[in-house]
Amino acid sequence: MSTATTDPTIDLSRPGVPFGREVRVEIRKMIDTRGGVWLFAITALFILLAMGLTLLVLGLNEDATITASGFGEIMALPVSILLPVFAILIVTSEWSQRTHLTTFTLQPHRGRVILAKFVAVTTLAIGTIVAAAVFGALGNALYGVITPHDPVWNLPVADLAWIVAQQLLFFWMAFALAMLLLNTPAAIAVFYVASMILPFMVYPILMAMFQWARDLLPWLNMDYAVMMVRTEATFLGDPIEVGVVDYLRLAFTVTLWIVLPGLLGALRIRRTEVK
Amino acid sequence: MIEVQNLSKSYGDFTAVDDVSFACRPGRVTGFLGPNGAGKSTAMRMIAGLTRPSKGTATIDGVEYTAIPNPATQVGVLLDASAQHGGRTGREVLTIGARMMGLPASRVDEMLALVGLTDKEAKRRVRNYSLGMRQRLGIAHALLGDPKVLILDEPANGLDPAGIHWMRRLLREYANRGGTVMLSSHLLHEIQIIADDLIVIGNGRIVASGTKEELLRVAGTRVRARDMAALESALTAAGLTFEVAGDAVTSTASPEEVGQAAADAGVALVELRESDSAGLEEMFLQLTSSNQRDVITTEGVPA
Repeated sequence: MSTATTDPTIDLSRPGVPFGREVRVEIRKMIDTRGGVWLFAITALFILLAMGLTLLVLGLNEDATITASGFGEIMALPVSILLPVFAILIVTSEWSQRTHLTTFTLQPHRGRVILAKFVAVTTLAIGTIVAAAVFGALGNALYGVITPHDPVWNLPVADLAWIVAQQLLFFWMAFALAMLLLNTPAAIAVFYVASMILPFMVYPILMAMFQWARDLLPWLNMDYAVMMVRTEATFLGDPIEVGVVDYLRLAFTVTLWIVLPGLLGALRIRRTEVK
Repeated sequence: MIEVQNLSKSYGDFTAVDDVSFACRPGRVTGFLGPNGAGKSTAMRMIAGLTRPSKGTATIDGVEYTAIPNPATQVGVLLDASAQHGGRTGREVLTIGARMMGLPASRVDEMLALVGLTDKEAKRRVRNYSLGMRQRLGIAHALLGDPKVLILDEPANGLDPAGIHWMRRLLREYANRGGTVMLSSHLLHEIQIIADDLIVIGNGRIVASGTKEELLRVAGTRVRARDMAALESALTAAGLTFEVAGDAVTSTASPEEVGQAAADAGVALVELRESDSAGLEEMFLQLTSSNQRDVITTEGVPA
């Protein structure tokens, strides 16, 4: 028995934790809590509601028509409203619930943990947009059945790519803010104010009233910057010729809302002492 | 073996852990005893690679925790049993750990059985767990990967007396199989039940360490006189070290030496005896009461 006690106990030749396993565990951690299940259930409800309402309007309105592209856009809405909360919670809940103690003892290399969470968030973003596309296709097919119009299957690859890209940008912004703030209410508030409330409720008014707002705000809002490049038009619908400045503006907003908070946040997570 | 050498951690002016060195040997249960805020948790977090030391090193078999591949399968760590997501079930908490470590799902059932959590309890959300149940879950988590070293911060906190004895048996068997156990507590009686070796820490410094028997056997003398001032000067004159403890004086010298010193000075004694095995307890009490928060104030009736 005394020989057992003199055996070297630590085996440095063992394999480490494979990255794929870490990502799968992080995805599981997003949806294995009661809160996670509810968020998913509510989002599913939103999707069905959006589909149902769209079909109702189309069914009651002989003149109204829609295309697959339009359906895709509509279905992307419900998955972009609530699901970014997952991208926030995957980071901040570790702090609020103090599970980071366990997480960082299972994987002491915090950069790896951040990367695994990032890949998990990206997977979720793409997965949900695919689900939205499936529901969109379903809705479009039903539209062909219940209205006299023939369904139009016209979702160009470019449009689909933009929808996916925007969803990713949204999720990454939420993730980056969560890393920077490490606090659930703060991250959720900043994310929704910056990405939804201001651009939908405040900026339009300012932009309608002031020239400086029309000049400045697209530089502060990722969604506007994306839309200008994507639709080749200003907020007010005036066509523009997309040039270097517009791509520069897009890159600037992405840096402002994703790269910068993401880098600072990652640095904070690596350095901060978990208690 | 856990080895800590000249380990320090400062936060600004405050030194939480101050040049601490100790070792926890395989086959032994080492108790890390100290009042709240003594630096126990900080030291343990440094061993587990969660807190960067200001100075010194903490290694396990000569290796830093962060350099161990898949560390949870080699070193079991429980730093805070209440640090679990309240919305997860107990079983899910263990399942995540098992997945991360690459263990079969059957391991989760084995651990639940080992710590005595029933199937029904394992399906409940951790939010609804008592502290004792959380401790059992945390210990199950620490043992999941069948590690050779265990680091447990206040694992007996919240356990009832039966639970404490259960833990003693569990850790005893674990150590008998060659495992190294380090566990902390702020309660002397808990650690007396569970540990073989003791490290006592106060205000960030190690104040005593050794086997439990050694520390509890600390010889000493308790002496009282009607004229305490005369007694104190007599002991000083004889060159004996002593401390005033309440209405008596304790000295590390033998009763014979103390009695002789008093007789030489002509001080009449009221009491002279070998102090109880309370050496450790007394030292521990002093450590605790030197903490401002614990000074007892009399809540008197206003005059």
